[in-house]
Amino acid sequence: MVVLGFYAPEIATSVRAGQFVNIGWTPGPLLRRPFSVYRAEDERIEVVLKAVGVGTEQLLAMEIGDRVSCLGPLGRGFAMTGSGVVLVSGGLGVAPMPLAVRDARAAGMEVTWVHGARTAAELCAEADGDRVIWATDDGSQGFHGSAVVAAPDADLVLACGPNPMLAAAAERWPDAQVAVETYMGCGTGVCLGCAVPLHRGGYDRACTEGPVYRAGDVDWSALPSHLHYAVGA
Amino acid sequence: MKPDLSVEVGSLRLRGPVLAASGTFGYGTEVPLLERRALAGMVSKGIFLRPREGTPPPRIVETPGGMLNAIGLQGPGVEVLISDYAPKWAAWDFPVLVNINGESANEYGELAARLDGVPGVAGFEINISCPNVEQGGLYFGNDPRAAAAVTEAVRRRTKLPVWVKLTPMVGDIGVIARAVEGAGADALCAINTFVGMSIDLSSYRPRLSFRTGGLSGPAIRPLAVHLAHQAARAVRIPVIGIGGIARAEDALEFLVAGCAAVQVGTATFVNPKAIEEVHDGIAAHLQAKGFGSLADLPRYLPRD
Repeated sequence: MVVLGFYAPEIATSVRAGQFVNIGWTPGPLLRRPFSVYRAEDERIEVVLKAVGVGTEQLLAMEIGDRVSCLGPLGRGFAMTGSGVVLVSGGLGVAPMPLAVRDARAAGMEVTWVHGARTAAELCAEADGDRVIWATDDGSQGFHGSAVVAAPDADLVLACGPNPMLAAAAERWPDAQVAVETYMGCGTGVCLGCAVPLHRGGYDRACTEGPVYRAGDVDWSALPSHLHYAVGA
Repeated sequence: MKPDLSVEVGSLRLRGPVLAASGTFGYGTEVPLLERRALAGMVSKGIFLRPREGTPPPRIVETPGGMLNAIGLQGPGVEVLISDYAPKWAAWDFPVLVNINGESANEYGELAARLDGVPGVAGFEINISCPNVEQGGLYFGNDPRAAAAVTEAVRRRTKLPVWVKLTPMVGDIGVIARAVEGAGADALCAINTFVGMSIDLSSYRPRLSFRTGGLSGPAIRPLAVHLAHQAARAVRIPVIGIGGIARAEDALEFLVAGCAAVQVGTATFVNPKAIEEVHDGIAAHLQAKGFGSLADLPRYLPRD
């Protein structure tokens, strides 16, 4: 996992936890790539990524001072209510959590962060909150099993991670707020490419009505679980 | 002096040659950052009489220099378009054409009749070329008699401009172009997306849930320039070029190849300022070449 920082003063001052930016770079793929904002301080924002294809490799090969095009903040973020919050993250699902800690603290809430990953090596070292719980699928660090199982109950649960993990979160906490990951085209609501299937029927747009949903509202069986951008060339 | 970029497409006078393509601009209320002075007109997201859910995800996948989409014409239906969007369009300083769809020629005609006279609706783009619906769509677009029947059904119900968006998935686009010209179309839009497929090698299945999708983006541009040129050679009515336009040079290729105007689509997903950059780039090109207006641009359009 790599953290990239960008000079983006307008986004840095207005972004809320769970919102994302849509980033384009040259040379790069045709479509922009959506990233949750990981941290925002002063005039800077950060995102986290893994090199999963040619596109992200190009982004990681950039030098300090190179320019990208950064559209945002986009989407609807987490809503902070209540006196305590449990953050549940799996793998790269840590992405919106540091801002969630910030926003929860600003709302006077007590924060528990449950950190999950497949292995200890894949756990993000970033840890914040009044209480931190670690969980790994292989038991190499902390709780042996899913972060969803390791988490305590709370007034408010916010989760981000692979869609199967979010589906499990929805079973346990239908009222949890979850940030879903979808394939995305424009990021601004026009292309309808980032359709999220809903239990009430039909679809809405992860980029506009989402990416944060009430967990129980999403039809998880109809939301693809393995999404990867296929092409960079 | 700034060159005159205005164009006439049939009876419709446009302040420039660059329009927003259907399906890439929503209903015109969503796109950020764009300076609207550069927008000559907009074609709405495709609409049916009734609401449509669209296809299950994944709906889009990126491919080299392009993208496949299978949205399935998700939309709220014509009544919501009339109540929620048309009143906004009525206040705008550029025309909005509605991209209309149906499962039969009669449905296209009914849609045109329902929308005719609604303030804010400046004309129609008949979609006989959507590859992502089970009924209609592409079927009407690759049969000259069906294409003409749909065009006639719309023409009979409205005096507003009627444009017909053609599919590239035909043996001879000139045959379809002449058929819809004969049925009363005011202009042609060439072309809609190509049908494509992309396979996921982890699941050994198509990446799109609809299996196939429409290919757009720079990858199709040379194919589109050729087809728009073929269509322009076949008819006397104006042709609006579409296909992979991201920069002014791309648009100029279509214009030189015989198009009266162009539509920009996929590029606006990537660059919200694409339309103004294309518009301003065309102006800069004309100015640099000493042309006072777009009409002075040399065209390559030998008649058969």
